[in-house]
Formats: sequence, C-alpha cells, structure tokens
Amino acid sequence: MKHCRRILAILLLCALLPSRARADLTLLKEHCAKCHSGDQPKGDFNLDDLGTMPDSDSSDYWISSLDRVSLGEMPPAKHNRMTKQESKRLSDFLRREITRYDERTEHPTHTPPRRLNNREFENSVRDVLLLDHVGTHDPLAMLLGDTLHDGFDTHGETLGMSEYHLDQYVMAIRNVLDNVIFTGPKPESRRYEATAEALFAVDRNQSKRADVTIRGEHGVELRDPRQRTFCENFVAAPASGTYRISFRATGVDRHVYSQDRTGIYDGDPLTLRLHLGNRELDYEMTDGKTQTFQVSVWLAEGTRLEFSHHTDGLRLIGNGNFKFQNRIAHDFIKANDPELYQRVLRDEVPKAKFRSDAPSHWVHWVPYWQGPRPAIESVTIEGPSFESWPPQRQIALLGQSPSAENAAAILKPIAQRAWRRAVTDDELTPIVKMVQTQANTLGDVEAIKEGIVAILVSPSFLLINPEDSDAESRFATKFSYLLGSTTPDPDLITQVENGKLSDFDSVRTELIHRIDSGRADEFLSVYPYSWLQLDRINFMAPDVDRYPFYEKKNISEDMVHEVLAFFRHAVETNRPVPELLTADYSFVNADLARVYGLDDVPSDSELRKFVFEDGRRGGFLGMGAFLTLTADTLSTSPIHRAVFVMENFMGIHPAPPPADVEIKEPDVRAAKTIREVLQAHQTEATCAACHQNIDPYGYAFENFDPIGAWRDHYIDVSQPIATTEEGHEPRKTRRSNISTAEIPIDASASFLSGARYKDITEFRTLMHNDANRIRFVRCFVTKLLTYANGIEPENFTEIEAIVERSAEHDYKILETMAAVIDSPLFRETSNTND
Amino acid sequence: MFDRRLLFQAFGGALTLPTLESVASAEQSTETAPTRLLVVANPFGAHPEHFFPAEFGKDFRFPKTLRSLQWLRDRISVLSHTDHNMKSGHGREVAFLSGVLPETSGAFPEKNMSIDQVVARRTGGQTRFDSVHACLERSIRMSWNANGVDIKPFTDAKRMYDHLFMNLTTEQRLERKELLQRNGSVLDAVRDQFAGVRKRASKNDQVRLDLYANSLRELESNLVGRQQWVDKDKPEFDLSGYFNGTEITIESRYNAVFDMVAYAFQTDLTRVATIGFSPELKYTDVKGVTRGYHACTHNGKNEDTVSELVAIEAFQVAQLSRCLKKLDEIPEPHAEGSMLDHTVVLFGSGMGYGGTHSNRNLPILVAGGGFKHCGHVDTRDASGDNMPLCNLFVTLLQRFGLEYDQFNQSTGAFTFEDYLG
Repeated sequence: MKHCRRILAILLLCALLPSRARADLTLLKEHCAKCHSGDQPKGDFNLDDLGTMPDSDSSDYWISSLDRVSLGEMPPAKHNRMTKQESKRLSDFLRREITRYDERTEHPTHTPPRRLNNREFENSVRDVLLLDHVGTHDPLAMLLGDTLHDGFDTHGETLGMSEYHLDQYVMAIRNVLDNVIFTGPKPESRRYEATAEALFAVDRNQSKRADVTIRGEHGVELRDPRQRTFCENFVAAPASGTYRISFRATGVDRHVYSQDRTGIYDGDPLTLRLHLGNRELDYEMTDGKTQTFQVSVWLAEGTRLEFSHHTDGLRLIGNGNFKFQNRIAHDFIKANDPELYQRVLRDEVPKAKFRSDAPSHWVHWVPYWQGPRPAIESVTIEGPSFESWPPQRQIALLGQSPSAENAAAILKPIAQRAWRRAVTDDELTPIVKMVQTQANTLGDVEAIKEGIVAILVSPSFLLINPEDSDAESRFATKFSYLLGSTTPDPDLITQVENGKLSDFDSVRTELIHRIDSGRADEFLSVYPYSWLQLDRINFMAPDVDRYPFYEKKNISEDMVHEVLAFFRHAVETNRPVPELLTADYSFVNADLARVYGLDDVPSDSELRKFVFEDGRRGGFLGMGAFLTLTADTLSTSPIHRAVFVMENFMGIHPAPPPADVEIKEPDVRAAKTIREVLQAHQTEATCAACHQNIDPYGYAFENFDPIGAWRDHYIDVSQPIATTEEGHEPRKTRRSNISTAEIPIDASASFLSGARYKDITEFRTLMHNDANRIRFVRCFVTKLLTYANGIEPENFTEIEAIVERSAEHDYKILETMAAVIDSPLFRETSNTND
Repeated sequence: MFDRRLLFQAFGGALTLPTLESVASAEQSTETAPTRLLVVANPFGAHPEHFFPAEFGKDFRFPKTLRSLQWLRDRISVLSHTDHNMKSGHGREVAFLSGVLPETSGAFPEKNMSIDQVVARRTGGQTRFDSVHACLERSIRMSWNANGVDIKPFTDAKRMYDHLFMNLTTEQRLERKELLQRNGSVLDAVRDQFAGVRKRASKNDQVRLDLYANSLRELESNLVGRQQWVDKDKPEFDLSGYFNGTEITIESRYNAVFDMVAYAFQTDLTRVATIGFSPELKYTDVKGVTRGYHACTHNGKNEDTVSELVAIEAFQVAQLSRCLKKLDEIPEPHAEGSMLDHTVVLFGSGMGYGGTHSNRNLPILVAGGGFKHCGHVDTRDASGDNMPLCNLFVTLLQRFGLEYDQFNQSTGAFTFEDYLG
C-alpha cells in the first residue's frame, strides 16, 4: 500500500514539475531511497516524509535534508555514489524548494504575547515604580517558579498563565507597594547599639536552640561559614526607611593554616557578608586590623539583618560540616607547638566527656582554632530616617500631595511605563473610577495605590506586546526585554519615536552602547546560562565519594562563572561567534585549575583568561560546565554529550529512542567500556542507523571524566575508593590504589561523511571547519531568536539571511546580534524592504 | 458506636474533638460519606525487582520496598506493566497523573490536567480547600490544572500547617475581608480595561489572551469563595511534637506532612491530596543511605548503591503505610468501614525506573477506595502489550461519580474484579 502511494506521488510529481526539478527528484530517489524507504527506514526518515514539496508538516524534513546533504553527511561516505556536482545540484534543489516554501507561506508576522517571567516581572515592577530594588523584604518570594524550555525562561507556551499566577501577582505587587507608599505617621528614628555580647550566632539548617556563639579578643568570631550572626536588639527592621549601619570588624588569623587544609586560597580576601533580607553586601577584612565600615541603605519593614563569613572553603574535611575542620587545629599544633600539644593531650583529652580515647578527634581542639575568620566588635544601627515625609520615593511616584481627584494625571505616566506605550484617558477610566470610589472608604493615597495595583495586574503589563500597538513601541519593548529584561527606558523610547534604530548600523551602535553602559548585563549572564542549560549542572551531580572536591568546593559555581566570564569577554571584545565553541582559551581560577590540571594559575578565586596550549580545551567544548552537566554521577555517556552538542551547538535534533526500545542499564561491575555497551546496542539495525549519526559527536569527550577532568584510563568505579586520612583529597594518584586492570580510553570515531578523528584535538579541528562554523552560527542565531521572541523561529530563509549578514562581518558576535535584531524575524515586519 | 474522643487521642498531638468542616456548615444537609483521593509519588520510579512481587495473585511474598504494607495484604493491588507510552528519559514523569506531556497538551481538551485536579474540581466547593499538595524541598510537578500550569505544592511543613490550620485573629479576619474586597474591585477595573486590550489585539493573539481571561474569571470567583470561609474556624492541629527533637529529619518532616493530610481528610478540610518525594531531600537521614536520591538510581548495579536506593524507596512506602494505618483506624462517619475504605490511594511514579531511564512498567500500587483489591496483577493484554495507565485512571475517576468512560490515552477501564482469581 505504502509503496504504491509513494510511486504514485513521484509519478504525479514528475508529471507536474519542470524537467530540471524532475531530474533533481530522480537524484534523490536514486541515491537515498535505498535506505530511506519502507516500514523501517534508516534514521526513522522515509523519503515519503518529504512529500512533493515542503509544507507545514514536511518543511523540517526538507531543512534537515538540506543540512545533511550540503555538509556531505548524506549520502554516507561508505555508500556514496553521488558526484560532487550532483551533490551540489541536490542541495541547490532542496534550498530552492525551501525558499519557495518560505516565500509562499505566510509566517505569522508577530510573536504571540507571553507572560513576563519572574525576572522580568521583578525588573519591570522596579523600573515602573522608579526604585533601585523591589525591596529587601523579599516581596516576590511567593511567585510560582517559571518552567524552563530548553533552559530558556522566556518561552511563551511554557510560561503559561493561571488563576494561581494572577493571585500571587496581586499579593506580590501589594508587598512591593507597601514599601513605597505610606499613609501612616512618620516612624521615629532610633539608635541601636550592639556590642559583642549582644551579637549571637545561629546555625541555619539545624533546629538546635543551644547558643553556638563564640566570642574572642576581637569580638564575635564568625568561624563556621554556615552560621549567621545577628544583633539581639535589632533582629529585623521595625519600619521601612533608610538605616545607617556601621560596624567594627577585624580579619583574624588569615594565613596561619595552609590553604590546602582550609580550602581558602591565600590570594583571596577574608570576606564578611552583610545580609539585608534578600540583599547582600560584602566587605573585605584586613588581617589583624580593626576597621569601621558604614553603609546607608533603605530597608523594608521586617528585613532581617545578619552577618556571615563568606567563603567556599572550610568544608574539606569529613562530610563538610564545620566541626570536623577543627581537626586542622590538631594537626597544626602537633606539628608546630609540641609543648602545647602534649599539654592538651595530658590535661584536656582524658577529661573530655566523649572521645577521650582519640586525641586527634575534632572535639578536643575547638578552643585552639586559628583558621581565617572575621570578628565583629560592635554594630550600630540608626533609623529609619527620611529626607522628607512622605519619603522621596513616594513623592517621585505620586507627587507631593496626591488626591483621588487627580488620579488620572497621577496614574497616566505610571501606566505608560508599565504598559510600554502611549495610554489614552479613556483607557484609564475604569481604573480611575475605581480609585475614586475606593477613596471614600480608604482615603486618597490608599485608593491611588489600588489604582497602581490594577495597572500592574493588567494584561498590558503582565504580557509582552498583547495588542497591536504601533511598531515602534513593540520594537522598543522587545529590544529592552532582550537586553535588560525590563520595561524600556525613556532614552530608548525617545530614540525609536524619532525613527532611530531602524537599520542595522544604528541597532549595532545602540547595542554596543548598552553593553558598554552595563544595561545589557542581564542578557550577558542570563543568555549563556540558559543556552547551555546550566540550571541542570547538578541535576546529576558527580558522586560525592568519588569526586569530593567538586561538592566540597562548590566547583559547579566556578564552572558556571567560567561560562559567563567567557561569554562576556567574547561580547565585549567582539569575537567571532564560532570562537565560542572552539577558542583556545577560557577563564579559570585556582579551583578550576585544579580540576583541569593546570599549573601557573594564581592561588585565588578570580577568573582570568588562560590559553590552553595542548589543543584539548578552550571554548564551550572544553568547559567543565558542559562536560559535567552531560555526565552521570559516576560515569560519562558519549550519547548525552553528543545529543547536547548536536542540539545546542549544531542545531541538529536527533529523534529520541522509540518507546519500546530496551535500554541496557549500565553495569559498572562488568569490565566493559561504554563503547562496548553501545556497540552491542547497535547490533540492532534500527538503533545503528541513528547512532552512527549521533555517537561521533560524543566519543571525542571520553577523555573527560564526570567532573570534566582529563583521564587516560577508565577507572573501575565498583572498587571502593582509597580515601586519604581526612578523605578530602581528590587525588590524582588514587588510580594506583586500584588493583584491577585499567582500560585505556579510545576517543576516536568517524562521521557518516567519512570525516574521522582520533581524539578531542582532531575533533575540535573538525568542529572548526567551514561547514560546522556555519552550523554553529545558525544555531546561535536560532537560540538567540528563541530567547528574544519566546518561540522558535520557523522561517529558514530569513535565518539564512541573518547568517549571511553575519558572514559579511566575519561572524563577529556584535554584528551577528545586530543582524538578528534587525531581522524581520525580530522586528516582526512582514518582510525586508531592501 | 465508638468513642471518637478516645480515638483522637491516639492521633498525633490533636486532642480536641475536631469538627467536620463541611458537615458543620449549614448548607450541608445530607450526610453521605465523601470519597477522597490521596496520591503519593516520586520522580524516579522504583527498582523493579524490589517493588514488583515475584508472584502474581493475592498470595505473594512482599518484596523489600513494599514490606511495610504487609498489614494491608488483601487490601492492595500492585499493577505490573502499565505505562503512558512515553519515550525513555527524565522529564516525562510530570505526566504521571494525566498521561500527557505539557508540550503536547494542546491536543487534549483538558490539556494535561492531572486526575487529582479533575477530582478536586468535583469535590471542591464543598470543602475549604479544593486540594492540598505537599512535596518537601521542591515540586516534582505532578499536579496540573486545566490551563496546563503545574500547581505549586507546599515545600515546607510549617507553611503547610499555617495554610491548613492556622486561624486568624478577629482583627486579621477583618483585614482579610477588606483585602478580598479590595482585590475584587481591582479585578473589576482590570476586567474593564482588558476589554479594550482585547479589541485591539490581533486574532492570532487571542489564545494567550483567553488564558488571561480565564485566569481572571477564576480568580474572581475564587475570591468570592474565600470570603465565606474567613469567619469559620479551622480545625486544630498540634505541630510542635514533630519538631521538638534536636535534629529535624526527613522522617519527622514527612510524618508531619502525612499526619496533616490525614487530619485534613478526617476534618473534611479537603478531599484531595498529593504528596511527592523530591530528589533534593536529604535522604541521608534514612538508615543505610549515604548518597543523593538521583545518584542512587544510577547505581550501575553496584549492590551497595542499589540497597541505598531500595532503602529510599522503602522509606517512601513506609511513610505511606503509616498514614494508611491512621486512616484505617478511623471509622468513616455516616458510613460503613474505615476512612481508608473511602479514600482512593494511589502510589507510583511517571517514571518506570531511573536506572534505565525507562518509562515502561511504571510502579503502581492502589489501596483503599472500597475497591475489590486483587493483589499483584499483570495488566498486559493478550498480545502482550502494556495497559495504558489511563485505564486505571478511568476507573478511579468513576469511583468519584465522574462520568468519564475515556481519559486521555485510555483504551478502556481497568476492572479490579477481572483479576480476582
């Protein structure tokens, strides 16, 4: 049946098409039909899927056919009888048909409205209300978390909207406004003084009520980084307003213990962190010197004030709990102060309530701790104070003496900022009426507040571009949310109103301007984070016993920061897009240097540019973040890594395995390499067809273990781990403790196109050839459009136009971004006019 | 008759005689026994050999994971070979209670609405809370509303307590009522302004605007519903016993959650509850566990790690068992049998087994609900194909008097009686 239909289709086609196209179709049939036909076509793709010409169902097949043929991956090298000219003719034909399809298809001219995600909501509320922060009282904590789509939090379909959302929004907006608009009397300012005796430490995760505070020569000592210290007489701000906080603090014993034991690098400062609700301020301590620090800051009512010792160190020993670190004191005294050591052993250990038989047990050494720690001598807080009453923030929003009678005039500028467009009086009428009715019972100011709540609950605020407003404000809105994830600023609005930003050059200039002035910072961190789906990095975290360093020093954070620093550098120095993938450099600090096995990296946590000479690392392909988030806890999977590379860097979407496929559970007890397991899986022809295509994108990374460290052999993970005494070292020598035979790693593979590589260095070279560079740029463009529009772009021809424009500028990242923004796909104009 | 007061003394820390919320309300005149739904789920499925008994029928040896349920021997059903016909991999377990993934939900009239919400839509309105959801630390996203949005569970036992049992002071009640009234006015004004937005919107955009309109309408009617409960007292529950020890463990936290749910059922605060076990929990509190939950599923068949996984799964079932025991000790008011007999209990996962990433052969266990339980059954049909789990859901929904003869992927209904030997 199926065959008949196909033959019929092709006959029909041959009759309809001009002779040239007919010849091209014959080419397709001749060279592809052998594998891609029947009930079980290879790669789950049947020529029938193409139909006679691209339509809404088949266009994806046409596009991937073009991709595979033009890159020489199809037909596969082994079976290829097609000449170079024929191959060129076939890709020209496919491209022509896709272009024709795009021309005759009416792709929706604008993207559907979508809900603001939580980030955008927070930034927008802040900017609409002219604040610098939505409030230290965590007013938005109750918002429902946004669901991500391939890592992106801007995906319209996924974001959704429900009664629950709306309910939480109302509550969140009220919380914010309570800290902006005041109707009561001005609160009295007071002065709170706390000496060390009034400062107390609390354990954050425990319910223990026992006092754990330790006071020393310089005041309260913040030894355990997981504790918070608070002032007994100022737990939380009694009323909203500006508080002047000053405190005297000292850095103590910064360099007594070795950095290898504490995990705090010698080059890093000792940091005291001041927590003000959801805001954090960091202060660097000078060793042995008591200093006074001061800050004036607006605190919302109920904001808690706490201090902590901020570091990723002091977790290396035992399970990471601070108490076990006291062991360092034991070792230090034993080595450096034999007299004291003997005295403690003689006088104190035997008297201890428990563990008196174990002199090295941490419990005996708590009083002798000399690890790096901040100490606070005293804290003084004064407030709330105001430069005026009502406070300036309220006057800026409502004016000096707002009345419900003037509600329209007061609310209009707020609505224009919130709704990102011009607002007519008519449109405000329902809200103004409500304000005036409410004023009778609530009073004028409270009633106007209700008006602001309504403005911010309106779909005109909560949804991006919900209506057919003018093209300029739609563009300004999208541009602003792309770069700053917030409502457009007045400068941007003026520019688009004056017809600026209407061409490539002016977009490029403004883009650079915004990046330089820090107004694209949100994009520079959120976009790479989402693109690489870094939210998943610890979804399958490396095994804590096997890779203790990773967990104990929070390496995943360093890895994430590496990606962000690298991406920011690429944008700020306008590097070509393909360099993101295969650059010979990246950004590392001492922690990453240890994982990557690098020498000559300064002993501190700052990320600095590092050039890799060995061709193995640099760019996304060598980053721990990518290698870790694609690995299992104990083993690595070439498949996971391959699929990640294909989907996120190459823009290829391999089909997931069919539901009835039996997947073999990895068995670490069997001395089989993952390659052997996969090869067994591929003895089935249906599996093999896809995996021949997928696997070569993954084998190259086999030399990287689950935390992205280099390895030459597989380790038998079923063997117990040979731990050192403290169990804190991820030692390079651990393999020598394992008796079983080591299996050397084979990281070679060949692509269907015939291209082959023997290891990661050759793989990286392949990824840098012209075809793969274009693929990567196209993938970047597609991802950027997905992020910007909240929906995947569909118009292949327009995407190609962006890639071509990018090519004209050597794929430079800023020009590529400008080409995306200037594209009809972003501008939402029906087509290019030039 | 039984002495209710005595019974309640055995119950957690709650000493006062609870009033049944809905029965106490004036509108409730016919005293019929309600049917309730309790779903307990995890995101990674179960280690098959330790979940599914080796024998079929009622006479089976309890495998390790289920051992704590031995006391329920003749009153449970374990279903082998059910699935939602999902491809392998994580992320598909969110379809556990609907058989539909969020990304394909557009094709279904009620999107990927989960069965608990389908039931809650029916039972809600009669109780203070339509449904109650808990999943400590982080949601495993099993409950989805008719808009295709997942419902945020309580991730903290204390917050759950505040929501379920904390009463407002007289002053707070006045404030609450004023707030509800103010929100009502705000929404009124927004509705009028929205009408203008709609007019100016292009046709293609109406779908998303409809979502907004539905949300607005539902919230407005919900505010009206909330008004009527403000003045009524909630039942009393004492949470302090669970958090008195020096260290709060996963066990004490889940004890609190399950007990609150049981008590909410008992007092008719709600009739639908879901409880999830998320991967982020500190299972290391459980005896014999040293690794993370997810790490244990990828055990590479390493025996030690497998036994850690089984310990985690057995812990989850034991928590359920403990709750069922409580429900079984409470006679159902106005009807025969225990409260458990009037509570449909479903334990399972939308993932088959994390170790293989398989979403075939889901671990499924049904208890209570007045069903004729049939022990361990092989649900495959004559040609050896797995049964769509939605077939079971049809049967469960019918138990609530809902007129479903078809639900998403179902091909029929699961009939317990068919499997009684």
